[in-house]
Amino acid sequence: MSDWEPKIVAFLCNWCSYGGADLAGVSRMQYPANIRVIRVPCTGRVNPKFILAAMRHGADGVWVSGCHPGDCHYIEGNLYARRKFALLKNLLEHVGIEPDRLHFSWISSAEATKFAETARAVVGAVRALGPAKHFIKKLAEVA
Amino acid sequence: MLAYTEKIREAARRLLAENRVDVVIGYRKGTIPFANEPFLAKSSEQVDRLYWDGFCGANLANYLPKRTDRVAIVAKGCDSRNIVVQVLENQISRDNLYILGAPCKGMLDRRAIRKALKGKEATSCEEEDGKIVVSGRGFSTSFERTDVLQENCTICIHRNPVIYDELLGDLVPEQQGVDRYEDVRKVEAMSPEERWRYFEELTASCIRCYACRNACPMCFCPTCFVDESTPQWVGKTINPTDTRTFHFLRAYHLGGRCTDCGACERACPVGIKVRQFTKKLEKDIIELYGYEVGLSLEQRPPLDTYKPGDPESFIK
Amino acid sequence: MLEVYFQKAKLNEVIEQLIRLLRVYAPVLKGAYHEFAQIKTASDADLGFQNTRLSPKGLFHPHLERMFEFSLAKGDPQASILREVPKDYSPSVILGIRPCDARAFQVDDVNFDTSVVKDPWWVERRKSMTLVGLACNEPCSTCFCTTVGTGPFDTNGLDAVLVDVGDGYVVRAVTERGEELVLKLGLKDLVPDEAAKKAEEQKVSAEQSLGRLFDTEAIAKRDSAELFNAGFWEEVQFACINCGTCTFLCPTCWCFDIQDEVSGEQGERVRLWDSCMFPLFTLHGSGHNPRSQKLQRVRQRFMHKLKYYQDKYHQGVACVGCGRCVTQCPVNIDIRSVAQLMSASCIC
Repeated sequence: MSDWEPKIVAFLCNWCSYGGADLAGVSRMQYPANIRVIRVPCTGRVNPKFILAAMRHGADGVWVSGCHPGDCHYIEGNLYARRKFALLKNLLEHVGIEPDRLHFSWISSAEATKFAETARAVVGAVRALGPAKHFIKKLAEVA
Repeated sequence: MLAYTEKIREAARRLLAENRVDVVIGYRKGTIPFANEPFLAKSSEQVDRLYWDGFCGANLANYLPKRTDRVAIVAKGCDSRNIVVQVLENQISRDNLYILGAPCKGMLDRRAIRKALKGKEATSCEEEDGKIVVSGRGFSTSFERTDVLQENCTICIHRNPVIYDELLGDLVPEQQGVDRYEDVRKVEAMSPEERWRYFEELTASCIRCYACRNACPMCFCPTCFVDESTPQWVGKTINPTDTRTFHFLRAYHLGGRCTDCGACERACPVGIKVRQFTKKLEKDIIELYGYEVGLSLEQRPPLDTYKPGDPESFIK
Repeated sequence: MLEVYFQKAKLNEVIEQLIRLLRVYAPVLKGAYHEFAQIKTASDADLGFQNTRLSPKGLFHPHLERMFEFSLAKGDPQASILREVPKDYSPSVILGIRPCDARAFQVDDVNFDTSVVKDPWWVERRKSMTLVGLACNEPCSTCFCTTVGTGPFDTNGLDAVLVDVGDGYVVRAVTERGEELVLKLGLKDLVPDEAAKKAEEQKVSAEQSLGRLFDTEAIAKRDSAELFNAGFWEEVQFACINCGTCTFLCPTCWCFDIQDEVSGEQGERVRLWDSCMFPLFTLHGSGHNPRSQKLQRVRQRFMHKLKYYQDKYHQGVACVGCGRCVTQCPVNIDIRSVAQLMSASCIC
């Protein structure tokens, strides 16, 4: 597994974190290329099904990022999401997922530096855990 | 508790005669020991089939969503809390309901009794003064009621209905000093790998019959996530990942809605302790948002609201 | 046919011998209930069981059957071509199957093994398995096998049957295959008169304990449309929560669904148990659902078992009276009461 690279699915909100990623890019900031970005309208749009689907298809980590509280384009989408994610993260950990597989952040479209830093932190944390073992769908092996 | 049968019949007869309601939802006596069947009485001729004993664990609130007629319903503490959630979620109108509150001393667990009988088959079961007497071919044995309660009932702290229009008996004392989350804390103390194995073993015998989901009064989506096919979020096989995903998402959908009525666990044909998933959510919701489900018609459900200062230490 | 006897003390030895000859499936206690599973040693088997929680139908019609495999790899010349999954049809024996469950396979043969359509997996497994039954000395109160044309000592679906007579077992071969197996096991002791007499008495008392609860003939004679439109379905269906417990536990429910599962560049086509209780079962691609209402689904289950099957195959009902759906239904819907309504002639 020496050439293993973590695969991380990042759900970024259209109005803030996706803009942050964009700005990090045009500012030529360096961060690891282990992140596959999925643009969502708002963190409130992120259904737990999406996160489990990413894991099911073999993502080693999942990262959800959106606007800071108070800055949501839809006023309060991220505030509802915050409650959903708190429960989701706790429940995932409760059933045996390592805490560092799942990350959340608030990053505005001006925070390119924070985006690059967080990306490094997320990739580093997932790399330290090694490849994902759980919630991955494999084909049946029985008759 | 058997006095409830008479009270239910009297109330049902009166309510139907006075045209206060169109139907009465209660139970009728089961065809086998340790089971009763949910029953809809539509006329006064059917009223005498209504029945009550310690095996009325099936949650009647399950039969309410989308009903538009005027319904009288027998409701234990947990059932009444589920009705509160259904009203909050616009599944049923409070104005159409006449709640016959049943203060409850806990429902009996058929599995616990069968286990105690060690393979002997019961053919009848009588309940009197805190004891139950079970008999079968060549044996008769009795149990203390408190020894064979459904597990969720032993840790119940809301035995009395929270909303009702009429009570079937005197309010019962609530249990004090109950540790509701001992089992959850035990799992929390394990390492991630141990927890994974714990739940792997817990769900290993699942046959994907969805009895847990369907017995739940809070499961009323027109299309369940397991039935979605474009995209298919959850595989339909008995592969451990598919089974685990189903149980995980089923539980998650009950965050801030589950009253720990135990209908899911009671319904499971292979005895999976599915409440081990939902109880964690219940505990977190109390700790994070100070919300106990189904106690108030005034307060919004915890995932339908937010506070500016909600905990967010997990967010970077 | 051949009849022999062996002492109970010899049971483990007999099972060990079976294991040396064949692959052996037997009732095994797993957690709170029994299920049929392959055993490696005699001590795994527990013949002191009433019946298994799930029926043994999974041994012929598994919950998940891998049918075909395929590759989706770019450049693979075999890509997207379905290859049949190799199966192991080693000669096997199911030891201790109850007569009702064995009879259920015959009920299902009309679906999987006909002159026109043959399900290869079902057919091959049926060929490879010898069924050694265990007669029911003490049927449960929820059993009603005699009402639906089988019985606690019925040997119709079996190759051989064991009767527990206290100190030992009477082994009765029913088919040539069964006889062959008994001979291979080297069981030669003649049945003592005492044991033969006891076995007969037990048969009579077991059958008498059951009685007839409804009349399947009367259901066959009733007009389908009249039954279909009967008023009692409204009451029957009320409590149903539309879970699949009854159908998944049922030894005769054979319905399935086919899914393609893909992981990376590999895929497989699998067959899974399905249930007429689920709305998805009948959902059309157009979005139309001919059985969108609970009443329609509940009615379908009972009509299929007790009416349509009779009308189509003229060989009794598609129910063997094992009582699993009766004991495990979370809301106590009892097929015996429903059948009484359908026959409208309770003779209990």
